[in-house]
Amino acid sequence: MNGTPHLGEAAVSTPHWCLVDAATIILVLVIVTALAFDFTNGFHDTANAMAASISTGALAPKVAVGLSAVLNLVGAFLSVEVALTVSNAVIKIQDKSGAPRPELLTGGGQALLLIVLAGLVGGIVWNLATWLLGLPSSSSHALLGGLTGAGAAGLGFAGVKWTGDGTKLDGVVGKILLPSLLSPVVAMAVAFVGCWLVHKLTNSVMHRLEERYFRWGQIGSASLVSIAHGTNDAQKTMGVMTLALIASGHWDRTDAVPIWVKISAALAIALGTYIGGWRIIRTLGKGLVDITPRQGLSSDGATAAVLLASSHLGFALSTTHVATGSVLGGGLGRGTHVRWATAGRMVVAWALTFPIAAGMGAVMWWIGHTLGGVAGALLVFAILCAASGWMYRRSRLQHVGAHNVTDDWGAPAAGSPEQSAAPTKTPTR
Amino acid sequence: MNSLTLALEGAGKVLGAGLVFGAGLPVVYALAMRLLTIGATPADGDTAPHYTPLGRALAGLLILVVAGGVVLGLVLIVASGFGKAVSFENILPTIVDKK
Repeated sequence: MNGTPHLGEAAVSTPHWCLVDAATIILVLVIVTALAFDFTNGFHDTANAMAASISTGALAPKVAVGLSAVLNLVGAFLSVEVALTVSNAVIKIQDKSGAPRPELLTGGGQALLLIVLAGLVGGIVWNLATWLLGLPSSSSHALLGGLTGAGAAGLGFAGVKWTGDGTKLDGVVGKILLPSLLSPVVAMAVAFVGCWLVHKLTNSVMHRLEERYFRWGQIGSASLVSIAHGTNDAQKTMGVMTLALIASGHWDRTDAVPIWVKISAALAIALGTYIGGWRIIRTLGKGLVDITPRQGLSSDGATAAVLLASSHLGFALSTTHVATGSVLGGGLGRGTHVRWATAGRMVVAWALTFPIAAGMGAVMWWIGHTLGGVAGALLVFAILCAASGWMYRRSRLQHVGAHNVTDDWGAPAAGSPEQSAAPTKTPTR
Repeated sequence: MNSLTLALEGAGKVLGAGLVFGAGLPVVYALAMRLLTIGATPADGDTAPHYTPLGRALAGLLILVVAGGVVLGLVLIVASGFGKAVSFENILPTIVDKK
């Protein structure tokens, strides 16, 4: 076992078999909640890869989400790296190797488990709320926002990492704020140039071409985005689950994740993707601009290239911000009508993602901490279930699914922002 | 404002690579479509356009270039998942150990 970073006996002293142990019950809640977050992560982000392909008809809606789900699943297994330090970007609950800070490990790691649980709940609630409104927003920012809020509540503001040390981008400013301002602009510029040139090159020969010839390029780049998403985002959940297992003494390595964690996280994100966040697909695919196959090729190509380039160059960007920027840039590049009101609502949602998820993470931590122990964690979990159930019921009032996701984007109905995201008519099929 | 400088620098690099691959490859794809129509008959009512062998060959070559870009993307994803990186130092992408 030489060379394996072990965390010492103190961390593994909790008996594994003792099911009535308080920390174990909280751990189970954290694991279930982490998988639930992973699931929302999947369906929230289906649109990033597939909205354009669905709206241009390059892929039938069910085929598109099926393909994306399979590729997310494959992507989740395409990595042996351990994203254990995902929360290190914004809060100080772990050391550099990913091991939890020792002072958070008393009582079977309950202090750390509650921070993680509250953070996850904050992220899920924000993901569901934005899905209900049909707004694409960054799942990673929701997760890190929730964790930051819960961390700040549990450790004080000194527990939050605001900026890096000056040598690399880090902290809330370097990893969240600045990238979210820059990424849509970069993606827009790339898609604008690409789409404009694609149209210049083909406008004069379109009478001898069919638009559907452009679908293969679109499917290729959408597939790359799906794989990359599975690789990056499923890892974050795996990292959070493994952190919780280490904190409660059920795992003692920082260089590997348990195989059941890997499999369950991969399945959760793939299942979420397959369920399809139809409301968000509709907004991104139909709500901003009416995407044509030639634009779809340019926008999806821009999304895939900008995403892969950013992770290759170590300047991680949010898939959602990049995909949205690409759709807008492509629309501008071919000079079509852009619904700026929809774009404006998205930008508002992006700006609110981190602070609101953080606020909810903090409130959840406070509720859990005030009641304390298992009861506190159970109450936080119950609040999550109640909020999720309520939002699911609300979504059924104006159901968006594979059958009506590409209907014409109607004039926004007065008053309710949800109504503009709902189709104006349901075709009889 | 060190973070701002670093972020702008990062965004600049991503913009450069994005323009080369993210705008470049769709443009190559469009060029393939344009070359495909060399000597082709226009679509007429129900009949699909008829393409010449020359048009098909040229288009096929360029589609291969685009496919190469997709494969490169796959290599980037898989390499980083296994602790490797792809180096562009010698123009031709090569897989190296992560720094």
